Amino acid sequence: MTTMSKSSRLDPEPMPRRDFLGLAAMWAMGASAAFALLGMLRLPRAAVLPAPSKKFKVALPESLADGEPFVPAGRSVALFKDKEGVYAVSTVCTHLGCIVKQSADGFACPCHGSEFNKDGTVKKGPAPKALPWLAVTKDGGAFVVDEGKVVDPGTRLA
Amino acid sequence: MKKNKHLLLWSSLGVLALLVVAAVQENFFKEWRRHQLRAASQAEGGVDIKLRQVVVPSLNVMDRCVSCHVGMAPGEPAVAGDKVLAAHKPVVHDPAEFGCTVCHGGQGRATDREDAHGEEGHYWPEPMIPAKYAEAGCGTCHTHIEVPNYELVRRGEKLVERYDCLACHALDGRGGTLRPLGAAAVTSPDLTYVGVRGYDAQWYEKHIARRAAAADGPWHASFGEIAESDLAALKVLLDSRVGTPRLVEAKALFHTLGCRGCHKIGGVGGEDGPDLTREGEKDPGLADFTHVPGPRSLEGWFKEHFRAPATVVPGSKMPEFSLTAEQIDLLTLYMFSLRRSDLPEAYWPKDRIKVVRFGASEFSRDGETLYGTFCASCHGTAGQGMRFAGMTAFPAVASEGFLSLASDRFIAETIRKGRPGRRMAGWGHANGMTDEEIGRVVAHIRALGGGVAPVEPEDVAQRLGGNKARGAALYGEHCSVCHGKAGEGGEGTALNNRVLLATATDKYMAETIRLGRPGTSMPTFGMASTVRPALAPDEIASIVAHIRSWEVAR
Amino acid sequence: MSEATTEPAMGRFLANLREIPKTFRESFVRGGAPTTDRTRSSFVFGNVFLHLHAVRTHRWSLRWSTTAGLGIVSVAAFLITLITGVLLMFYYKPYPDAAYVSIKDIHFVVPTGRFIRNIHRWAANVMVVAVLLHMARVFFTGAYRKPREFNWLVGMGLLVITLGLSFTGYLLPWDQLAYWAITIGANIAQSPQEVTDALKITQYFDPGGMQRLLLLGSSDVGEEALIRFFLLHVMILPLALVALLGVHMWRVRKDGGIARPDDADARLGPPPADTYPVFTEAPQKTYQIATIVKGRTPAVGKGPENTVPSMPHLFYAEMGVAMLTVLVCVALALVSDAPLKELANPNVPENPAKAPWYFLGLQELVAYSAFMGGIGIPSIVLIGLGLIPYLDREKEGTGLWFGGPGGVPLVILSTVYGFGTALALEAFAIRFGWIRQWWPDVPQLVITALNPGTVLTALYAGFSIWAVKKWGSTRAGALALFTCFLCGFILLTIVGEHFRGPNWVFYWSPSEWPGH
Repeated sequence: MTTMSKSSRLDPEPMPRRDFLGLAAMWAMGASAAFALLGMLRLPRAAVLPAPSKKFKVALPESLADGEPFVPAGRSVALFKDKEGVYAVSTVCTHLGCIVKQSADGFACPCHGSEFNKDGTVKKGPAPKALPWLAVTKDGGAFVVDEGKVVDPGTRLA
Repeated sequence: MKKNKHLLLWSSLGVLALLVVAAVQENFFKEWRRHQLRAASQAEGGVDIKLRQVVVPSLNVMDRCVSCHVGMAPGEPAVAGDKVLAAHKPVVHDPAEFGCTVCHGGQGRATDREDAHGEEGHYWPEPMIPAKYAEAGCGTCHTHIEVPNYELVRRGEKLVERYDCLACHALDGRGGTLRPLGAAAVTSPDLTYVGVRGYDAQWYEKHIARRAAAADGPWHASFGEIAESDLAALKVLLDSRVGTPRLVEAKALFHTLGCRGCHKIGGVGGEDGPDLTREGEKDPGLADFTHVPGPRSLEGWFKEHFRAPATVVPGSKMPEFSLTAEQIDLLTLYMFSLRRSDLPEAYWPKDRIKVVRFGASEFSRDGETLYGTFCASCHGTAGQGMRFAGMTAFPAVASEGFLSLASDRFIAETIRKGRPGRRMAGWGHANGMTDEEIGRVVAHIRALGGGVAPVEPEDVAQRLGGNKARGAALYGEHCSVCHGKAGEGGEGTALNNRVLLATATDKYMAETIRLGRPGTSMPTFGMASTVRPALAPDEIASIVAHIRSWEVAR
Repeated sequence: MSEATTEPAMGRFLANLREIPKTFRESFVRGGAPTTDRTRSSFVFGNVFLHLHAVRTHRWSLRWSTTAGLGIVSVAAFLITLITGVLLMFYYKPYPDAAYVSIKDIHFVVPTGRFIRNIHRWAANVMVVAVLLHMARVFFTGAYRKPREFNWLVGMGLLVITLGLSFTGYLLPWDQLAYWAITIGANIAQSPQEVTDALKITQYFDPGGMQRLLLLGSSDVGEEALIRFFLLHVMILPLALVALLGVHMWRVRKDGGIARPDDADARLGPPPADTYPVFTEAPQKTYQIATIVKGRTPAVGKGPENTVPSMPHLFYAEMGVAMLTVLVCVALALVSDAPLKELANPNVPENPAKAPWYFLGLQELVAYSAFMGGIGIPSIVLIGLGLIPYLDREKEGTGLWFGGPGGVPLVILSTVYGFGTALALEAFAIRFGWIRQWWPDVPQLVITALNPGTVLTALYAGFSIWAVKKWGSTRAGALALFTCFLCGFILLTIVGEHFRGPNWVFYWSPSEWPGH
């Protein structure tokens, strides 16, 4: 291209091969735009979530039979009581997050037909893993369940 | 083109530099970051550096206070002794369940100090309740019921000291060191919340029995008999213990100084002053600080206002009460507690439901407290009457002269119906007092007057039979200066007032003219003075007859 | 190779796969890298964004003093508000109270939220200033004249939309500032009632009430108003602005680029060594199409075309100005936070409740007559501005600052007169009051017709007529009128901004305001 003659009226001004100033200006603009874009991309990722605490307090009814699930209103957790203590199993299906319903001998998911035993293990369907067990602690006469904290299956609060 | 290239280059580099500055500011110099960095190095186990908040949707709470006060965030370690990073002291309500601003006020959405605390110029619109008035925060939800007169509370507090109850029992964070059953045994009950949690009505008898059973030791040595009247005072005190001793004192003082005589709270009180039901939520951005020295804080405004009401609020009818610094402090605390926020009813405590839904009283209904609640601001806490600059004097009601002339019926009727058109309001309406309660107030007034015996009620219709025409002349000469030409009142009482004419007997009027009203400008017309001769009984009767003529006219 | 012959399709596939980077680049940029004049030209007209520009730009247009880059500043500021505005919409909730809280969230917890909101606010202000200055530039260089009359009108439309965007954005935070500014704005919309009431025809004919109702969707400023303002702010007005902006820039090109004097080439002198302007020989231009197509080919018959390729000459200029605009907005955003007062409280008016600064001049006039200040005089001014290119059809001085009869001396005289009369009138009204204070029973119509605003307008009009006669030129009249109104606008804005306190009372400084 540099060999092209200046005499052509249509191509009288070949771009100088080393236009440091122009390139620096372009790169500076590009860099600031890229940096600004990075800053903007941070905005949609909220620093704090407007969701309430995952911990909640619940009192078990006196009449709750051993091995029967108790689901506190508005929560996706089933609490069980047996001889060894109290434990909580999440009722959020591990497949795609539907809330499983209590069935005759465990839980059934209404969305894609997964079925679980009472201890959360998968019996049938597309669910890839067992329903997680959640941390339970005692506070006075009530129990505190932390939906955000998964514990090993079989962990009970004596 | 070179110029433009330079323009582009340097503008772009400038933008890049400023963006870097902004990024650094955003990521390293936020106030809450500094506190959390400190917590990360000082607190046991450290903390993650991130924004935190307590969310309680049902209370509309989204409090980011825990971003700086990270030691108060649920499950985070605290730094003991640090002003910002310390843990919350143990309280009845878990901050994780209620958030921060419900009790402390302030702006929970903010993440820097000025905005969160609502310091000068940053209230939008709720500043934080100053830490020393933190008890006022309870007023957001609670309305402590049936607080007694200040004197009664103080009497109980002094008795607790005198009988040394604090040796064994803890109360409001004090005492409870002695363990009568031995160090290993359970401690004596903490009395801090005894007014809410209740106590055994037979406690005194049981204490006495325990003492009788013990041959020696602490039970024998430290518990003694308590006088009957002191037991009543102790009961008042125990009932008032709800964990907020200062707030109870503050509220009691409010119901001792007669503030409700002019101000309504929750629909109960007089109408001369503004309704104070939500005074604690006042927006300092809207308050006039022209005449308030010091920083523009609600605390400063309240205090200066109590000191000199008419200066702070030009045109205010509220008189200067010459309050002590301690009284001003207590009343300021009480003002802060008047919040009564619009909470979901599911959160309402029992006391508030009782007051708002079932009309329970916020103060005791004994004569002394009722007098302190409605009457004391004008007639004086001891019934001595009050005289404020720029206002007609308020008559003494506990003076011997008045009490020896006025029958119980006369006083009760006056309280019930008031003096229409004058500042004396009637208190017999639904939100005031029942007849029985008015009777208790009358009894208290008599007690204030040293127990002057009540006068037998007489027939109001009975007339002394004076000469009206002569009375008119005498009235014009002696009375109209203060009481007005047509008895409309001025410095003196309004005599043409229909309630006065309907309730006062001729004898009451005649005797008042003859003996005067000590403590007011009403002189004793029955005795000669340097400027006028004494009025004879028939002259006085004539004046009374003239006054009676307005009864017909109206 | 043997594979390629046995499976030619598979071989082509692999070759295509290898060449994807090259073929992708070619499909993206037509005509190759912009290194020669020819490829630069195709770069400009082959690009959807760049082809609004001519392929070549006259050197006159590239002088900094010709335009000061104000049009580009306006566009850049608009683009900044557009980008930051879209970002803010991630968190903004257009519902009373929730709106306020969401702005607080943006301020306190949204990552970069505070900075982006500040940029949005400052870019909006920069845009208003730039648009006003751009209009002044176009006026003073006589660039509104034939063939650019219509584009002047399009530009006025853009000015109105810019002010509308700024004003509708004002309500969105739902704070005291917003609430009361909008209440006043809505009542100005209602102010034709001042006239219809005086004529006692409001119950039959009520354009004011209709305007207010349309604006607020309710009798008060409430959730309906917020939704409407939100819709206007984020949808209707930006779309209208983008559409008009497209027309505006397209017309700039179609009307022959930036206005320049006939002797521009002579004034420019020989080109600098590093540029290679094209000197088109006049006879080489073909006339056949130009004579068939109705319209103008401004380059024809004007001798040598003193132009340079738009890419990169114009490109660097525009990008430089745009980045400078970004720089200013970002710097301001770092220094000063966008205001957010207390939550809107319909019971407690702000005192003083002030409109955005660019409306404070009008608010100063509104203090005398709501109708005249808010609707009457702005309408007169807009109509007057719109008529300028149709009334001034002279040629002299086009493309030159303060060009035409009168020139700089007239502009200086007009500045003195414009400031002087406005100052005198304001001082008089502040010192002695106005008709209502002297004769309280005067009918409202008299005050509507006779108030500082109308008197000032009349004085300016009179001065302009004097200028027309004195210089024997409509351009002189336009210069006088425009300069006067600009000065009046500036003076009234300063008075409204700085010298008016609670109850719209005159104070020498905000520090003297009572109670604060």
